[in-house]
Amino acid sequence: MAPSQTSYAPTLGKLLKSLNSQPLEASIESLVYLLKRRQVKGDDIANAIAHMLLQVVAKSKWQSVDQLLAKVSNTGLRLAQSAPSEQVIGNVVRRVMGLIRDEASEDRNADDMADSVSDLSQLPTTPTMPSRPGPTPLRAATLPMSRSMFNLLCVSETVSSPGTGASTPMSQGASANMHALRSEVIDGIEEIMDEISQADDQIAGFADIQIHPGDYVLAYLPSPTVERFLVKAAAKRRFTVFLASGDRQEPGEVPHAALCKKLNGLGVNTISLASNGLMAYMPRVNKVVIGAKAVYANGGVSTESGCSIAARAAREYSKPVIVLSGVYKFCPADPSDDVTEFERGDSSAFVDYADGEAVDALEVENIVAEYLPPQYVDVYVTNL
Amino acid sequence: MATESTGAPAGAPAPQERGKQQAKPAAAKDTPTTGGDAAGEQKLTPAQLKAKAKAEKAARRAKAKEVKEAPPAAAAADAKGGKGGKGGKQEGGQSGSQQHGKSVPGRRPSVTGRRPSIAVVKEDPRSSIPECFSHVPMAKRIQTSQAHKDVHPAVLAVGQQMATFALKDSIARLEATLLAFKKVIESYETPKGNSLSRHFVPHVLNPQIEYLTECRPMSFPMGNAIRFLKSQVNKFDIDTPEDEAKESLLEFIDIFINERITLAEVVISKNAAELIDEDGVVLTYGRHRLVEKTILRAKADGKNFAVSIIDDPYDQGGKELAKTLQQAGIRVFYSPNLGGLRAHLERASNVLLGTEAIFANGSLLAPAGTADVAMAASAANVKVVALCETINFDRERVSVDSLTYNEIDPERCSVESFRLMFDNTHSKYITGVITEFESGTDFAPAQAILTLLRKREDPTIA
Repeated sequence: MAPSQTSYAPTLGKLLKSLNSQPLEASIESLVYLLKRRQVKGDDIANAIAHMLLQVVAKSKWQSVDQLLAKVSNTGLRLAQSAPSEQVIGNVVRRVMGLIRDEASEDRNADDMADSVSDLSQLPTTPTMPSRPGPTPLRAATLPMSRSMFNLLCVSETVSSPGTGASTPMSQGASANMHALRSEVIDGIEEIMDEISQADDQIAGFADIQIHPGDYVLAYLPSPTVERFLVKAAAKRRFTVFLASGDRQEPGEVPHAALCKKLNGLGVNTISLASNGLMAYMPRVNKVVIGAKAVYANGGVSTESGCSIAARAAREYSKPVIVLSGVYKFCPADPSDDVTEFERGDSSAFVDYADGEAVDALEVENIVAEYLPPQYVDVYVTNL
Repeated sequence: MATESTGAPAGAPAPQERGKQQAKPAAAKDTPTTGGDAAGEQKLTPAQLKAKAKAEKAARRAKAKEVKEAPPAAAAADAKGGKGGKGGKQEGGQSGSQQHGKSVPGRRPSVTGRRPSIAVVKEDPRSSIPECFSHVPMAKRIQTSQAHKDVHPAVLAVGQQMATFALKDSIARLEATLLAFKKVIESYETPKGNSLSRHFVPHVLNPQIEYLTECRPMSFPMGNAIRFLKSQVNKFDIDTPEDEAKESLLEFIDIFINERITLAEVVISKNAAELIDEDGVVLTYGRHRLVEKTILRAKADGKNFAVSIIDDPYDQGGKELAKTLQQAGIRVFYSPNLGGLRAHLERASNVLLGTEAIFANGSLLAPAGTADVAMAASAANVKVVALCETINFDRERVSVDSLTYNEIDPERCSVESFRLMFDNTHSKYITGVITEFESGTDFAPAQAILTLLRKREDPTIA
């Protein structure tokens, strides 16, 4: 057990590097565990999913478009279920599936395949991930990842239906086309990855339109997107940034120190607010910048916990709330009731186990993600 | 607390301190003297007392002189002197302001390493405050040796406790201040050719108030109480014998503490406890004395309910409250920060909030974060009830945002970590205010505060 553990370091960077050397199933499995442990967060998720789907397309065996779609959909389903609150996973999977269908229909049109339409019509355009049964995943008996103790805690997935069984008959020439399709799809996924990685820069391009000289900007738990936005604005404008975060910092430590340094270097003042409630500072603030985890069809935003406090306070003083979100974070779905619920996280950090009395006394609830209703948002800045 | 006798405070001037007594070196240094003083004074005859007071004064003068000589450079124009509290500082006629001017250099905090080893070793803590908040006052520690020479030792101790936040709650500060003022009155001797009603306030009381204000901006109830006290002094006829006047002032303070603090707490908690529904969930923010009393009272009345505590991660008073409530057998849900607010509000049946003060326009001054809780609660259609003694009401000043009347946390006053201690809750988010005075309805809307205050200005007390 021990030797294998030492080689296994669960970080996303390691995983992405080892993608080519590892068997596909092992990579998927390890990404599932990273997601389940919430070790992949924020903007990394979209990138990781795109990488993984690229591997699925490139490595797995498939003879038809249907098989490929089933494989992608199945992998996507597993990944999405491992982090149900991350809508971005579904988005990227949908993008890839849409891409495959586009490419396939182009090919078939070229081949004058008469029956191609039936295939497309059977696949919902906005698949709701959990409801789609896929074929049973290839589950080798001994996978490298399955040694993790995390497996003991997992409910084994019960994937009932053996397959969609909707495969259309292929003409003789089709298998040759599959090869071309594969490389086209791979190109397409790489484009998506490019888009994801460039989104932050493109969003930051709008920074100097939104932020004016002399502004006081409140950044609540700045995500990398927000950080880049502020830094870009700092290159052109003189303003002041209030940085706020929900959790306690000790008097010595500076939250977001790297960002502060960068901004200060550009001549922008930063003030870290050691406060949970933000109403007190709102009269001073000109605008609030929030990074989205996902944006729903109704405009509601999935955010870090506490953002709705900031947004509500801004609304009270009629200050604009700016949400930054790449287009790949836009979900076609409206938020379900599950979404407007909250994601609860580790509560052990808040009460010391040495404090036995408190451990007995408290039912601690630590909310890590929440839903911000659309009426609190004034501006969405995207990369389009 | 309710049954505690407030008449004879023997040792420390603040029997009410529930705060942790740690880390206040300067105060600790001073307290023994105070205690000894108090004990001694009660036994001495008036003549002995007089001699003692004189000796004390001489000693203090010498001390002040010493300090004055030490940092001569510190004589920079004193903005503090003019600023003062709200309590009509400038009444001190000619000689008063002269005295005042003379002592200025001594009261400046010395820049040299004379400060006790407290957390901040910076030259001037105010210099690190960001420009946009530079108008907000902040508590600061003044070495006892640098206080005004006329400051009474008991007041010195209270000032230190307030500056170190050992006395934190506005009512705790009020009570400690009043008890210290009793000592001041006890040891007061009217100089020849003067009358208590003319001499006491400008020459004795005002320096004490100034010192306290410098240690930490005065709390609202303190301002109110001092106004009452001064008007009481002014009521004396110029010929009133000194002993009689002192006796009546001491009695006034005793009654004041009894009625406005001790009884008020009992009445408010009793009335508020009636609002807690059977099988309901009460949500509260942080830890406030009145809220705690109310919840415990409701439990003692045999009600069955749960409490949801939203804590301020920088204060963590809520955790202590949770432990206390758990011991009383109450089920407690706890959220370590405001992030969990909406989730907790979904099951809450009402919200109880403690306040520091209520302004004439009905808005609350309360610990930072209260406004966010009240706003979210009223958005979720949950009743928001503020608990407040009438002494906390300010009938002259209004506040519409949190930057008008606030304080900076002296521990967090730089750009790396900045914190305002209070915020301002608009009255539209408050369903009701419970005070000790409206015994008929018990549920005064925040807008009715002015009416309440007019009633409160009953000649029986003020």
